[in-house]
Amino acid sequence: MTGTADRALAPYLETIPDPLPEGLPAVGHVVAPRSVDEAAAILAIASRHGLSVLVWGGGTHQGYGHPVRSDVVLLTTEMRRVVEWLPDDLTVLVDAGVPVAELTRMLDERSQTPVLPEHPGDATVGGVVAAGISGWGRLRYGPVRDRVLQVVIVTGDGRVVTGGGRVVKNVTGYDLPRLATGSLGSLGVIATVCLKLWPRPSFAASIAVSDPVEALAKAYRPLAVLETDAGSWVYLTGTEAEVVAQARALGGAAEEGLGWPDPLDDPGVVVVRVPPRLTPEAVRRVRSIDGGVRFRAAHGVGEVRVGLVSGDGGPVAVLRRWAESHEGSVVLERAADGWTLDPWGAPPGSVDLQAKVKAAFDPAGVVNPGRLPGGI
Amino acid sequence: MSFLDALHAVVGRERVRSQPLELLLFAKDAGVRAGTAAAVVFPETPEETAACVRVAREWGVPVIPRGAGTGLAGGAVPEEPGLVVVMTRMNRIHSVDVAGRTAWVGPGVINLDLSVELGRHGLHYAPDPSSQSACTIGGNVGTNAGGPHCLAEGTTVAHILAVELVTADAEIHILGGEAPDPPGLDLRGVVVGSEGTLGLVTRILVKLTQNPPHVRTLLIAFADVAAAAKTVSDVIAAGIVPAALEMMDREMVRAVENFVHAGFPTEAAAVLLAEVTGFEDGVVAEAGTIARIADAAGANEVRVASEGAERDEWWRGRKSAFGAVAQAAPDYYLHDTVVPRTKLVDVLTDVYEIGGRYGLTMLNVFHAGDGNLHPLVAFDAREPGMLDKVEEAAKEMVRVSVEAGGSLSGEHGVGSEKRDLMPLVFDPVDLDAQARLRDAFDPDGLFNPGKVLPSGSRCADFDYVAAGAVP
Repeated sequence: MTGTADRALAPYLETIPDPLPEGLPAVGHVVAPRSVDEAAAILAIASRHGLSVLVWGGGTHQGYGHPVRSDVVLLTTEMRRVVEWLPDDLTVLVDAGVPVAELTRMLDERSQTPVLPEHPGDATVGGVVAAGISGWGRLRYGPVRDRVLQVVIVTGDGRVVTGGGRVVKNVTGYDLPRLATGSLGSLGVIATVCLKLWPRPSFAASIAVSDPVEALAKAYRPLAVLETDAGSWVYLTGTEAEVVAQARALGGAAEEGLGWPDPLDDPGVVVVRVPPRLTPEAVRRVRSIDGGVRFRAAHGVGEVRVGLVSGDGGPVAVLRRWAESHEGSVVLERAADGWTLDPWGAPPGSVDLQAKVKAAFDPAGVVNPGRLPGGI
Repeated sequence: MSFLDALHAVVGRERVRSQPLELLLFAKDAGVRAGTAAAVVFPETPEETAACVRVAREWGVPVIPRGAGTGLAGGAVPEEPGLVVVMTRMNRIHSVDVAGRTAWVGPGVINLDLSVELGRHGLHYAPDPSSQSACTIGGNVGTNAGGPHCLAEGTTVAHILAVELVTADAEIHILGGEAPDPPGLDLRGVVVGSEGTLGLVTRILVKLTQNPPHVRTLLIAFADVAAAAKTVSDVIAAGIVPAALEMMDREMVRAVENFVHAGFPTEAAAVLLAEVTGFEDGVVAEAGTIARIADAAGANEVRVASEGAERDEWWRGRKSAFGAVAQAAPDYYLHDTVVPRTKLVDVLTDVYEIGGRYGLTMLNVFHAGDGNLHPLVAFDAREPGMLDKVEEAAKEMVRVSVEAGGSLSGEHGVGSEKRDLMPLVFDPVDLDAQARLRDAFDPDGLFNPGKVLPSGSRCADFDYVAAGAVP
């Protein structure tokens, strides 16, 4: 890094948290902007000096996609205001660095939910939106991108761009909130997010079933239908009367509350994504992996998370060949140090168009460079 | 070879229209302004569509995609003499996956036809714009169309899994897919609602929704509009997101009742239609809560319909509201702003004040649960100066909505109608970013020029960093 770049960044080096979050790569500089304007100034400097920037929230999904070689790590965790919660309007506006767990707890006081991942760990709202991570409630409430009403993106060259609006229905201008969701920081730093909330239903039950496929076909709008290496469950929410009635119709042992499976703690995780009707076939293929693996399958969604205990790419390649032949994918979410697994598989046909869209937001190519499929 | 000859060579003579009357017909949508069509073409395949794009490109003629022409914001109106590409011949349902609850359809499939076709599988396509018996899924994708039942289910974009897009270089791309979260940027999400400015959508993968086992619909009459609006806010605040929550004021109720004879209470100042769906016990409980909230707000009357003729009549009444207005005047101008639901009462009061001040005949029918207002001004465009007056009042109504924290359009789109109002909600940097995004798809401005973004949105002043520059 040049001396000029060092001097330009100097004012932003004072706010770094102590101790630093675990797992940060050793790079020239760590910066932690406290505001959108500071983030914009930092990215403008990075673009001017050609410094590549790795964006870091809670660090829970940094293993997602190609690794980023960076000169600077930008922590979003010092931007953590809950700007405005309008409970009667079912919306909340928060800074990217607000932890998901904290937001969920706060909203729970008024029986509302952002329908974000149920086991977020240290994940931030901005990180979950950037990684496009939906919780198990996706079957009922749709993916996380359906709840992002507005985003403020600090682009790679330091522009502060607002897209969408703080209303629950809006077709004014291009849908930047959906574009930003799942963009893995490739367009810039997501600085604030307005989320659509849902009332938390008054009652919930988890029902152990023997045939998740049959249960999915029979149940009306369940919250989730999960199958793991330990069993299968249907999750229902609503009023007590309707949940009890539906649980009875489904049969199986019902327990009050949402007994979600523990998150996979294997050293590596891949996510198999296929058309929802192929979920049972994906489960069958995952179960037949030599030596056995732990997995979490979401029926009706088409997603199976698979725990990996070794860096042997063989089983991943076999799964990937099958998934890609059905227009699906196998994506690496996490890997142990030293593993050399291909994170994405075949890039999509629209990769050139995607590169142009990234360049529209990050013309110098400095923010999370190379993260996306095709090394965009 | 002329431009028309080139088109004839691509799709044949009978699917190109260029007679003056035909050009007039396709130079207008259901809104109030007309444009100029240079030619009209009806492709039947994605490949033909791409060939039309290639011809238009070679001849430097802008391309304006069009579905059924039911749009109200001028999205399908050629701003400059352009090639109108009508997608209605691509109207096949290509495949339905009942177990996976998806279907591939052509852009010309009519919205209601799809749900009717799916009924035997116990499925439907959730977005239901009032024009659903005429509008196409492709047009719905263009505007990210809404409808009463988008309150609980979300608008079109939440129901589109993939689109096949013919881009400016006449290539055919699939964006999105049947599997969740395809790797890379969500370009599908950007194309939905882009009003034909990024390319031509030639096939669509839609998500299908289970028909609810039980439905209960409430018709609630109020002696004043504020009490109805308060009921809407209170229902949402009570933690109920009904399947639909619609409101009509007295003027609209009377026009509709005259037209469909659905038994609406014509003496009420406002009528709410609330619908809850799901398992029977939940439906009964939620309907009861809504009725109690309405009572507390001072409702005069609560009627309940279960599935069947009465419910169908009520919805037919609601969805024919715009047609019913023809009794009041030959033309209408329909607004589409959105406000935070907690601001409904305030903004409605302002809207009535503006209508009164301009001396306009105004009827209100809207998606109250979403805060999506549709004040409708009935007028006679032959009256000199009338259209200008209507448009002036429209701008004021948009302004009060935006000042309340709202937005320009909830479901109709920006088109040309609200294009020049975009700076009310976006600053120059935001508009520049949107213009750059558009340029990434269509650098030469081939598709639907003059729509969505005001001229001058792409602002060189924001190029503070040239690509790769190190000073």
